[in-house]
Amino acid sequence: MSTAAPPHKAAPPRTAPARRGRLGGRLSNGAFALLLTAPGLALFATIIIYPLVSALFTGFFKQDLRLPGREFVGLENFAHWLDGDFLTILEQTMVFTVGATIVPFVIGFALALALNSGLKGSGFLRGLFLFPWVIPGVVISFLWMWIFNANYGVLNGILMKAGIIEESVSWLGQPGTAMLAVIITKTWASFPWMMVMLLAGLQTVPKELHEAAAMDGAGAVRRFFAVTWPQVRGVASIVLLLEFIWNFQHFDTIYVLTGGGPAGATETFATAVYQTAFKGFDIGRATALGGLWMLLLLLLVVVYIRITERKGDAR
Amino acid sequence: MTSTTSTTPLSGTGRHRTRTAPAGRTSRRRIRKDLLRSRIAAWSAVLVIGAFGMLPVYWLLATALSSPEQTFQFPPKLVPTDITFDNFTALAENEQLISYLVNSLIVASITAVLSVVVATYMGYSFSKFRYRGRRSLMHLVLASQMFPQALLLVTLYAVFSSFGLLNTYTALVLSFTTFTMPLCVWMLKGIFDTIPDALLEAASIDGASRWRTLHSVVAPLAAPGMIAAGLFAFVRGWNDFIFAVTLADKEKQTLPPGLVSTYIGEFQTAWPELMAASLVVSVPVVIAFMFLQRYLVGGMTAGSVKS
Repeated sequence: MSTAAPPHKAAPPRTAPARRGRLGGRLSNGAFALLLTAPGLALFATIIIYPLVSALFTGFFKQDLRLPGREFVGLENFAHWLDGDFLTILEQTMVFTVGATIVPFVIGFALALALNSGLKGSGFLRGLFLFPWVIPGVVISFLWMWIFNANYGVLNGILMKAGIIEESVSWLGQPGTAMLAVIITKTWASFPWMMVMLLAGLQTVPKELHEAAAMDGAGAVRRFFAVTWPQVRGVASIVLLLEFIWNFQHFDTIYVLTGGGPAGATETFATAVYQTAFKGFDIGRATALGGLWMLLLLLLVVVYIRITERKGDAR
Repeated sequence: MTSTTSTTPLSGTGRHRTRTAPAGRTSRRRIRKDLLRSRIAAWSAVLVIGAFGMLPVYWLLATALSSPEQTFQFPPKLVPTDITFDNFTALAENEQLISYLVNSLIVASITAVLSVVVATYMGYSFSKFRYRGRRSLMHLVLASQMFPQALLLVTLYAVFSSFGLLNTYTALVLSFTTFTMPLCVWMLKGIFDTIPDALLEAASIDGASRWRTLHSVVAPLAAPGMIAAGLFAFVRGWNDFIFAVTLADKEKQTLPPGLVSTYIGEFQTAWPELMAASLVVSVPVVIAFMFLQRYLVGGMTAGSVKS
């Protein structure tokens, strides 16, 4: 689990040594290794690959989720989105994705730096801060729904006591604030994860480097950019990219908090595809939008694999 | 920086003394000021983020322990004066909730076992063998974490529907397993990587078949990691919302969607009870996590972040 390669990996044998025993005994090592992956691959094929491929085709048909049979309609479903809400949904998805990636990153990084600076009890604090990340997503949504509640919510209560607002704000009920509320909720759920990852990265920075830089007269800001940042850049880029990909397809928080509303103000690809399929029962249109969404996502995944690959991770 | 945070930071080590000697006192004073400033910055960050991180948790607890009358008054009392456990006893009497809880336990447990079995074989194959297509398979596993669940669900629903599997444990377990597997595979691969090949060679020389080596030599060594992977899968299954809400009806539904249908009313939500139920749902996860923390952090940093 360490970041360094285990010593025996320095010169990996072509195959693990093995005597040909009974079960699978006549197989070559390669075939044996493939056999081991078979159950997993079977699952992937039925639960991921087949539905994905089928989704790509369904976009060209008119089909009701509740009924068998379908009718070929060519590009009509795609046209429906591209002439309609596609850009709005893309824009809102991007606002959510960027907001819910950058904000927890900044918070998580600040906390990681603080915990790495030798505070007393930082191990305990790290465990404590992980709490929001551990509790189930639906619970997180309920909790913040309650905090943002227009009539009895504690947020309105505190802001009014502090004299910041005059009367209760319906945070989730109006288009102007709903997206902000959703981003805050998602931020709360994911900053601990980013903190852990960045802290792990920071701990690989040799302390001597910092001390030496301080001796040479570098201030805190200078040391951050000259010493810390170059060392954690790799971790930071992967954390940002992963979080971006996850947020780009995030569903739970938005669905439970707002359902994509009010007036479609928090509609993202995930909620739009879901609602079109399971509320509108139009799976042709749902998968057409899903196809467009996948194209965008694919670009991100390729970048992600490139980066992990370059790190020599997928040995 | 730990070495410089002792109470007398300027007593200095030999190396420091020689290095700072020409610069003299100014530099030392500057470093001391610097250190103080970074300490203050660190504590302020911890306090501000701590408030953001912990106050909602406090509010979850406070609401769960409040009477309905106290909850529905505005502005809210930040410190509940009227503490009650009624919200928790109400849960224990709600049969529908108990059945959701049982479903959750069954589905999450089977998911955990299945994920570990499948991921053990796959992770072992990725770790100890070199063959054509291995890297592509590993990428497939990695990338499968990133397929949008909302899209998969649409056609998965149709697939399960045509096989008559909607509203069954099978549908939930199969779909959960698929999204718990990628991290399990990577966690276990990381663990198998630490088991020396020489051990496998020794087993083979002693006459063990490849299956036997895996089951009797490698698996026991990897057992702690397999338990960690299982806990992780359990937690993911326990927490899932989107698959459970779509693929199962009332009889087979798990707790997260069950809570939505029970408490999120059209007009008025029973907030204190919902917060109590939320706490109960979170408890197994928090306990599992205490055991898991070390592995999970290790697995995440090894599986997806390596610098």
